[in-house]
Amino acid sequence: MSAPLLSIRDLDVVARSREGDRPLLEGISLDLARGEVLGLVGESGSGKSLLCRTIVGLMPSPALVRTGGKILLKDQDIAGADPASLRRLRGAEIGMIFQNPSSHLDPVMRIGDQIVEGIAFYRGLGRAAAREAALEIMAQVGFTDPPRQFSSYPHEFSGGMRQRAMIAIALGCDPELLIADEPTTALDVTIQAQILRLLMELRAKRGLSIILITHDLGVVAQTCDRIAVMRQGRVVEVGEKRALLRAPQAAYTRSLIASHPSMPVEDECGEVDDVSDHPVAATDVAGVAGTPAPAAAPATPGRPRPLVEIDDLRVCFPAGGGLFSRRRSFAAVDGVSLSILPGETVGVVGESGSGKSTLARAMLGLTPLTSGHVAFEGESLALKPRATRERLHRHAAMVFQDPFNALNPRFTIGETLAEVLRVQGKVPAARIADRVGELLDLVELDRSFATRRPRSLSGGQCQRAGIARALAVEPRLIVADECIAALDVTIQAQIVALFRRLVRSMELTLVFIAHDLAVVRHLCARVVVMHHGRVVEEGPTEAVFARPRQAYTANLLAAVPSIDPGQSLFGPDPRLTVSPVPGTSRQGTNP
Amino acid sequence: MHRYRFILTRPLQFLPVVLGVSLITFVLVRLIPGDPARVLLGARATPTAIANIRAQYGLDEPIWLQYLYFLRNLAHGEMGTSIVFRIDVLDLIVTRIEPTVALVLASVLLSVLIAVPLAALAARNRGRPVDHLVRIVSTFGIGFPPFWLGLMLILFLAVQVPLFPVSGYGTSVGEKLAHLVLPALTVALSLSTVLLRSLRAAMIEGLKSDVATAARARGMPEGVVFWRHVLPNAVAPTINLLAVNVGWLIGSTVVVESVFALPGMGQLLVRAIFSRDYMVVQAIAMVFACATVLVNLAADIATVAVDPRVKL
Repeated sequence: MSAPLLSIRDLDVVARSREGDRPLLEGISLDLARGEVLGLVGESGSGKSLLCRTIVGLMPSPALVRTGGKILLKDQDIAGADPASLRRLRGAEIGMIFQNPSSHLDPVMRIGDQIVEGIAFYRGLGRAAAREAALEIMAQVGFTDPPRQFSSYPHEFSGGMRQRAMIAIALGCDPELLIADEPTTALDVTIQAQILRLLMELRAKRGLSIILITHDLGVVAQTCDRIAVMRQGRVVEVGEKRALLRAPQAAYTRSLIASHPSMPVEDECGEVDDVSDHPVAATDVAGVAGTPAPAAAPATPGRPRPLVEIDDLRVCFPAGGGLFSRRRSFAAVDGVSLSILPGETVGVVGESGSGKSTLARAMLGLTPLTSGHVAFEGESLALKPRATRERLHRHAAMVFQDPFNALNPRFTIGETLAEVLRVQGKVPAARIADRVGELLDLVELDRSFATRRPRSLSGGQCQRAGIARALAVEPRLIVADECIAALDVTIQAQIVALFRRLVRSMELTLVFIAHDLAVVRHLCARVVVMHHGRVVEEGPTEAVFARPRQAYTANLLAAVPSIDPGQSLFGPDPRLTVSPVPGTSRQGTNP
Repeated sequence: MHRYRFILTRPLQFLPVVLGVSLITFVLVRLIPGDPARVLLGARATPTAIANIRAQYGLDEPIWLQYLYFLRNLAHGEMGTSIVFRIDVLDLIVTRIEPTVALVLASVLLSVLIAVPLAALAARNRGRPVDHLVRIVSTFGIGFPPFWLGLMLILFLAVQVPLFPVSGYGTSVGEKLAHLVLPALTVALSLSTVLLRSLRAAMIEGLKSDVATAARARGMPEGVVFWRHVLPNAVAPTINLLAVNVGWLIGSTVVVESVFALPGMGQLLVRAIFSRDYMVVQAIAMVFACATVLVNLAADIATVAVDPRVKL
């Protein structure tokens, strides 16, 4: 291997405050060869993004200070460079793209102008020439009609196209190194696959070196040459992709790999499922089910009555129009029929905008139905809205995507739970305090959390509190809407394991909405695939995953990046599997 | 272009606004103690003379009937005759409209010229002495009432250092502009503080935003980041704030025109109120109301032009 393009040695970064320095990055040493793709993996807070910000000298806060180490770009130490020369490095040498293209693109500037900005600045081209160059780059990153899309604004594009625009803007400055900070985390799997493919193509065409930050080992396995695993500000392991995934050395890497949802289900990696090992949970079964023989209903021969029946449901939202134009509407859910038996675990999957969340809200009577029926325990929401809603309030509960914002920040966790218990009135007032404790035990939070507020909790702890709040209803049905999407993978795995235990021990019916197919595969017995407000496929999870009948489902499954580098996300495309050639020259904007 | 279609439908808002404003001013003006006929004829007028005047202007009719007459005339584009000036109200207003419009435009222009650079200076030096100075000065600006500011400006910039005329309006364009400087500055000193605060806050947000980070990450100099990316994004909320403040702006022209003896509508309004010149008060109130609606329309157009995401 020739001299590395970028070489980081013993980099230290601290957060400086009156109390002293708190280390955020400690002794980071990494190398990046020309044309190489390095995956930077780790949980939120592990310092991946900070590392990349440090490389380009864009500290998120003036309180963060580099205290030691070298950053060599083409053998030049840029760590101590003055602001002006650092600025010249950004863009021209090191380009960056970000997780959230929607907020990083200027909303009031045309896409084309944003690309032209960098081109004109670095290549000193005139307006017309810069525009030509921008159109070429737009075509290169997959804009279908560059001349027209040149004058569009960011909000007129989908998330995937916005990320392409970000990439085009970065490429406009013609960098040698691209830092991609979680570039696909906010995107649907199929779009993620397209963007990753684009990055790999650009690498092959331009000899671009890429640092890809992600929390998804699958993404890394599919794209990178080498992987660096970060935790708590340190690089715990770095190595060639296949070797590292096959034989991880650090314990943390092993747990990260084990948490990856595409790993085969080994009954929760040895976690204890048996109810009898959970004394609190065991006493709770009786308390929750309320009847002396909770198992009686599912065991009844013949067809049990469905808990939820949805019949040709349509939910429409107004979409523009008004006083002088005909009102238009948009069907978020467009003719869905579904029935859910007591005790079932049903996963609803689909891309964003497919209507999953609307279906969930309609199921709980939280959104007006346009037509069709939703029945809960045989009561129709359309025919007897008030009575059915009353019943839903007492027997169904929801767990939300954003655990922080779903909890009242002014209430302690104990107050939040006690409020539900008081309103529901199923537990005598004198028992509420005890019951709060039991609920916390149930979600495996220490009882001391009762006096804490959401602000002082981590994401995973908040979500456990959110689940405890749902359980406080003593529900028969829990609807969990993307409830793990905002969590780190290891935390995701814990929450999924918690759901599995709860479902098993409490006779819960669970509707689990997720865009992450692998998680649904772990957790749910039945899966419903939604697309454009309709159900395109449903059936037993294993059957659907093993033999999808619909092309849409198959595409969705194929787009999930496997943690096994052998199962390529991009199919057999020789260009994309080329290993980096040392000294690959940049080829400008030639396709 | 359909984003701008609201320009065609918006004038329909005028109808309810004009009706509402006319009803309220019509009734309120007549609730003020005093009789225009008596004001007009003086203290020694005979009862018959007063009765004649009252009959001539329809003031002896019941109030609801007067209002219906008023609406009928309004539909024909007539606002009645001024009791004091004895000429058509519309003709009267037309002669007075120019100084007021000029004052409002000059005030807004000056406010923007004061607010934008100071806000930029403060935001880009956040937490430094410059920032604190700008904020302290702007707090004073909010605290001082316009009439007092106006008097101080006259004292310092017209009397002690005779840079600008003390009062009046003049006839040539140059004279008019010179006469407008101090009144406009009076209004602008108050208005710009409001804009300044909003702009500064929006700019500070903008400097921390992802858009700015992304621009820095592609090596744009801080000046480009600020003027090309931060400022345009900070303008939209300020336009709306400006529109909200137009009511206040029009109110303050009444005071400022009186202080500087500008022969505009505000000054006319004050005289009309004192002389119970009902027709003039009504007409000016309605002109002001329509102006407010128009300014809000202009603000909406500006917002749509500035921010491509906005749909109205």
